[in-house]
Amino acid sequence: MSLKRINKELADLGRDPPSSCSAGPVGDDLYHWQASIMGPPDSPYAGGVFFLSIHFPTDYPFKPPKVAFTTKIYHPNINGNGNICLDILKDQWSPALTISKVLLSICSLLTDANPDDPLVPEIAHIYKQDRAKYEATAKEWTKKYAV
Amino acid sequence: MPSTTPISVKVVAAESLYKRDVFRQPDPFVVMTVDGSQTKTTLTAKKTLNPYWNETYTFQALEDSILVIQVFDQKKFKKKDQGFLGVVNVRIGDVIDLSLNDSEETITRDLKKSNENLAVSGKIIVVISHNKRGTGSTGAANGNGTGRSDAPPSIQAPPQPPIANSTSTNGAGAPAGGAVGGAASRQYSSFEDQYGRLPPGWERRTDNFGRTYYVDHNSRTTTWQRPTLDESESERGQQRINTTEAERRQHRGRTLPGETPQSPNVTGGSSSGTNSATSGNITVNSTGANTPVNPGAAVSMAASGATTTGLGELPSGWEQRFTNEGRPYFVDHNTRTTTWVDPRRQQYIRTFGPNTTIQQQPVSQLGPLPSGWEMRLTNTARVYFVDHNTKTTTWDDPRLPSSLDQNVPQYKRDFRRKVIYFRSQPALRILPGQCHIKVRRDNIFEDSYQEIMRQTPEDLKKRLMIKFDGEEGLDYGGVSREFFFLLSHDMFNPFYCLFEYSSHDNYTLQINPNSGINPEHLNYFKFIGRVVGLGVFHRRFLDAFFVGALYKMMLHKKVVLQDMEGVDAEFYRSLKWICDNDITDVLELTFSAEDERFGEIVEVDLKEGGRDIEVTEENKHEYVELISEWRISKRVDEQFKAFTDGFNELIPQELVNVFDERELELLIGGLAEIDVEDWKKHTDYRGYQENDQVIQWFWKCIKEWDSEQKARLLQFTTGTSRIPVNGFKDLQGSDGPRRFTIEKAGESNQLPKSHTCFNRVDLPPYTNYESLKQKLTLAVEETVGFGQE
Repeated sequence: MSLKRINKELADLGRDPPSSCSAGPVGDDLYHWQASIMGPPDSPYAGGVFFLSIHFPTDYPFKPPKVAFTTKIYHPNINGNGNICLDILKDQWSPALTISKVLLSICSLLTDANPDDPLVPEIAHIYKQDRAKYEATAKEWTKKYAV
Repeated sequence: MPSTTPISVKVVAAESLYKRDVFRQPDPFVVMTVDGSQTKTTLTAKKTLNPYWNETYTFQALEDSILVIQVFDQKKFKKKDQGFLGVVNVRIGDVIDLSLNDSEETITRDLKKSNENLAVSGKIIVVISHNKRGTGSTGAANGNGTGRSDAPPSIQAPPQPPIANSTSTNGAGAPAGGAVGGAASRQYSSFEDQYGRLPPGWERRTDNFGRTYYVDHNSRTTTWQRPTLDESESERGQQRINTTEAERRQHRGRTLPGETPQSPNVTGGSSSGTNSATSGNITVNSTGANTPVNPGAAVSMAASGATTTGLGELPSGWEQRFTNEGRPYFVDHNTRTTTWVDPRRQQYIRTFGPNTTIQQQPVSQLGPLPSGWEMRLTNTARVYFVDHNTKTTTWDDPRLPSSLDQNVPQYKRDFRRKVIYFRSQPALRILPGQCHIKVRRDNIFEDSYQEIMRQTPEDLKKRLMIKFDGEEGLDYGGVSREFFFLLSHDMFNPFYCLFEYSSHDNYTLQINPNSGINPEHLNYFKFIGRVVGLGVFHRRFLDAFFVGALYKMMLHKKVVLQDMEGVDAEFYRSLKWICDNDITDVLELTFSAEDERFGEIVEVDLKEGGRDIEVTEENKHEYVELISEWRISKRVDEQFKAFTDGFNELIPQELVNVFDERELELLIGGLAEIDVEDWKKHTDYRGYQENDQVIQWFWKCIKEWDSEQKARLLQFTTGTSRIPVNGFKDLQGSDGPRRFTIEKAGESNQLPKSHTCFNRVDLPPYTNYESLKQKLTLAVEETVGFGQE
């Protein structure tokens, strides 16, 4: 089931690519993709290009894909290993979701972090207490790692 | 032509090597070759799939030099394939820049197959470095050294705290400088972190939620707590022993309704008598559990369950004698009768009258049914009684005092009766003679396999006499309990790839669909089936709990979508979504499934020609049914069949069918004593506060319940009656640790609902205690099958 669906998503992505994201297989292995997201203009990540790795489980789309940042990013919901805390990648996953929708959700997570459900509590704390400091650090990291 | 540069290659470790033998771990060592001319060999690590060498060697290399790292099993090095465990090829220039004065890189590579195409797995971790300034003294001097003397001195020593390492000149084994510059500044290998190196044999890993946990390869255990170097191996060993003791204690405390563990002092005596050194002093506090202080239950039936027998005095007027064949029998001079049954092993029914006077009555002396009475089973496998004299039927056993069953919920009476009925069947009588099983404690799985498979099922139905090699002590119960405890831990250990933990939580087991990696696996499943049967037959509990679906399969019941929740909660949610939503143009599904078999993906038809049949809105329910069945049972059909064959050799199918799946879980695993205070302490509330009236009533009700009712509530809310060995604080849900939760939901005229993958019960705000108690009892009692919505 998974291969057919993955192929369809790949075709859909080619036909109707989402704005500011791209994704596709790394090599011959259709279960392993790479994606990129442009930092949203209204966020401290603006100007950066962030790479992500995507692994599809054999049970896809019954199980969510495993998505992680490979570019370092300073964000309360993304940790040092690139793991993303996003409900639709966990218990809110539904087979109707696609990689395209997942990438768009990650884009909006970059614009609107969710400091109340943080993966990195230290960053969430700064985000809440000193927004300017958070934005400065996020910009600095973007410049350092994503440009 | 460029001149060569000395480089250091440190082989740190490998992890998750391929396991070619089921019962043996390889003795891995590494052979490194640079450009086919310089060869170095590491020491051999013993019996591990996660060897740790941490040895450094020096080579002369160019940018284009190829370093070949091969892992072999030393025990098989003389064999044809040389015990090959994988290879990695590295071009030096791809890893470090030789034009710099110094550089160091840690690389982790997946081991690859050779041309022989033998299966391999796992990774190897290597640090490659060079230092033009530093190597003048160390590297070059050792450059032509042979064997392992060329390792820098600090490496052969046991792993040091990081400060010691980081001063080492050539940087081998040391984190690159500036390790403190924030979490992001550098990657640690799996064997160290910002606090330094982990103790030998330990590894740091991250789960899919990004949480760090630690793997102890010495004991094949995991923990959230970081081990420290100052904690000695013996202290950690002690901790492991403590955990096992806690599990053993829990295991000993298990009962079935109608049976009780012995009074404390007797049990203590028995276990010291059996001389099982590790269990000598732990049983004392375990029991007394079912001492009936419970006012709600008018009765508690007690049976010695043979836990203690053979020790202590015979009742007055009794004498033990032996037949010419040496078989013991018992003479009751009071009644001038003889019996084979040891009176100390007798099952008793205690009736607690209003004045708490205790009348004891051995179950076996219940004798036959009164004339004209007959015991029958309904088609739902409930025991009932027919009185042909009056042509009436009743649920109540005419031999038991009628007061016995007052205030006891129906399902409970049913289970107790079923157990009595079950035990009374001729097929479950112990045959004359003895069945001797002798095993070594540290080799219990293989020894038991040999011992149990060489005997016929008939032999196994004789009185069990278990002996641990090198230990004194006759098996009067304590030894065989220990045997089933140890064996269940070993044979279900996912390490052997026969069973695996369900993804639902950390405790429940299911058949590993990839068990075929062991070519003998079907024999082992048959063996395990026999052991489960043996436990039930000889009334010993296994310390193992299966996913609910497996008990259903043992009862030959059809598995349905609901059962998927306990097997794989994520998959279940998606299937549920399919049922609840219009799937037109959303899913690209056919009536087939993809099965991953060791990296290869195989398409399996769910029905004939399934891969060409589209799943549509119209036929989706059929698809959900078929895929659930395939995921849960069809995929492990062979293994399950072997398992049941073994089980049915001791327990006939028609007799197990008396029970439902929950009862079967209790029959195999027993009822544990549940600590309500601990439960309460580790409970979360949603919409309620701890001091709300309804919550107070809830706990009041649970405290009044007996073990079985508590266990039933646990089954209802968490899907299994098993409690984590360290108590409720370690309760797991489908997505990691998940405390027991009571949520305010529903109307006060509704029954409570449960969400087993979140360990949650939805408790409506009932307006009085009676109504709460009645609804809760009903919910637990009436819901058949696991995984209620």
